[in-house]
Amino acid sequence: MNTTVTPAVTKRSSSVSGLGTYLGLAGALLAMIVLFSAMSSHFLSYNTFTMLANQIPDLMVLSVGMTLILIIGGIDLSVGSVVALAASVVSVATLNWGWGIFPSAALGMLCAALAGTVTGTVTVAWRIPSFIVSLGVLEMARGLAYQLTDSRTAYIGDVYGWLSTPFAFGISPSFILALLVIVIAHALLTRSVFGRYLVAIGTNEEAVRLAGINPKPYKVLVFALMGLLAGLAALFQVSRLEAADPNAGAGLELQVIAAVVIGGTSLMGGRGSVISTFFGVLIISVLAAGLAQIGASEPTKRIITGAVIVVAVVLDTYRSHRAKRRG
Amino acid sequence: MNASRPMRLLAAAVLFSTTSAFLPLSAAYAQDADKPKVALVMKSLANEFFRTMEDGAKGYQKEHSDQFDLISNGIKDETDTSNQIRIVEQMIVSQVDAIVIAPADSKALVPVIKKAMDAGIKVVNIDNRLDQDVLKSKQLEVPFVGPDNRKGARLVGEYLAKQLKAGDEVGIIEGVSTTFNAQQRTAGFKDAMEGAGMKIVGVQSGSWEIDKGNAVASAMLNEHPNLKALLAGNDSMALGAVSAVRAAGKKGEVLVVGYDNINAIKPMLKDGRVLATADQYGSKQAVFGIDAALKLIKGESTGAVDGVIETPVELVTKP
Repeated sequence: MNTTVTPAVTKRSSSVSGLGTYLGLAGALLAMIVLFSAMSSHFLSYNTFTMLANQIPDLMVLSVGMTLILIIGGIDLSVGSVVALAASVVSVATLNWGWGIFPSAALGMLCAALAGTVTGTVTVAWRIPSFIVSLGVLEMARGLAYQLTDSRTAYIGDVYGWLSTPFAFGISPSFILALLVIVIAHALLTRSVFGRYLVAIGTNEEAVRLAGINPKPYKVLVFALMGLLAGLAALFQVSRLEAADPNAGAGLELQVIAAVVIGGTSLMGGRGSVISTFFGVLIISVLAAGLAQIGASEPTKRIITGAVIVVAVVLDTYRSHRAKRRG
Repeated sequence: MNASRPMRLLAAAVLFSTTSAFLPLSAAYAQDADKPKVALVMKSLANEFFRTMEDGAKGYQKEHSDQFDLISNGIKDETDTSNQIRIVEQMIVSQVDAIVIAPADSKALVPVIKKAMDAGIKVVNIDNRLDQDVLKSKQLEVPFVGPDNRKGARLVGEYLAKQLKAGDEVGIIEGVSTTFNAQQRTAGFKDAMEGAGMKIVGVQSGSWEIDKGNAVASAMLNEHPNLKALLAGNDSMALGAVSAVRAAGKKGEVLVVGYDNINAIKPMLKDGRVLATADQYGSKQAVFGIDAALKLIKGESTGAVDGVIETPVELVTKP
């Protein structure tokens, strides 16, 4: 049985990271940009680009973490709440305890990583679907965020402002950091043994075990990493909004999962690419910005965004069928 | 094993959602046999505004603990209508004497309120006014205790208009569009802006939230480069708008106003990043509601005019 692991893995993962996939996603993105440019007089502009570059770093890093989690066949619904928890911890440390910005930031990220570790450990130790564990953690993290901030939005000021202040061409340090996370994650996933193991775990966990590798620590690590990235996303938000809102990030998990799935990462595990996820983030963000700019109503926005997700997933099944036949 | 997994998952999800639904987020019981029991049913206790309201009510109960008992309940978020209905049902079962409610939805709560009134419970409406047509269709009269949101928003808008000149472009960031409060505030903003001859180039929902307010504000600033002001339906969205203005490099060029006067807005009022907001004294609203409920229990007049007991709204500007 263990002999089948390696070939199966290479075949399936190659279908998503191929040049064709990137071209398809880039094409869809381009089509959307052309469409919105035709409908709005100011969409195709430098300002739109800088606005998006300012807004998407949090979604970028969260989606990278979610891609890894989906690859091992898990899911994490708690990310939005964990972002709020980390932001709340940062606000309390900065404002109430008078900590410096780096210790506060470190504590916030640590708490977020801890939340991820809890999800991962419980999932692995009791073999419970991560769906339900993360649903519990979602509630706990949100409750903690309210508890810490006394349910009040805290004004932090611009001490973290430098993270989201553009230094050239509308590019801010947070955008660079987010790009760096994408590059590192992509390298890890495609070029390292760790990445191979993740794909193998998602494809056939039993086979991995039979091959003599214990998948448990890897799974916990991926959830902890997701938490850490949620902590980073929280810093980006605090920096951009100058405030920590305990209500922040409600429903963010769905946006993240949508971006990852549009990028072609399989919800069944074993198949996914960080670069494709980046395209997914761009598609979701351009769609949201474009719809807001043409002044679409709230119901229209939701209907169109939902339809795009469904179409993307349907297209993806065709793509994976074709890839299987070729193999 | 693989086949049973989705089913187990579903069962677990159902179990989880039902148990969490029957556990009210915050329930403070202070009961006595002969004193009247007043139930305060709030919207999201996660929202600072309702927390202030609840704190005010609790403080009031402590001062007057010989006159009534207070049971206070809240829901998870402001759109959690079904859970609020369930809470009202629980209050009916626990035979309270009066319910003071801030409805999560101005229409959907009416049937359960009728049920409460049929059971002999006095009901007072605070914060978000119940839909008058629906109330009429059920032949109900529920006194509303609260501020005139439209008037408050008009005050803020008129102050803003003085800083602009006729023909300037402005954008409105609305709260959750289905709520009466959001609609009233938008209407008040529109009254003031249209009255002063401003051009409203867009009204979009920021769902009362900072990040969504930020996204909508960014898009508006981008689409309308000549935009001179953003009017946000609450302070959280105003905070989001302020950071959108900064990100667009238009600090000082685009004015921002909010509503509610939360703590986090104060530094922004001070340095002018937010021009004005409105304070409608959240803590007093629940207290006025409780007072009206106690009068109803005793059979006294509440002093309502056309079913409304108006509470004050004040314009707040640079301190």
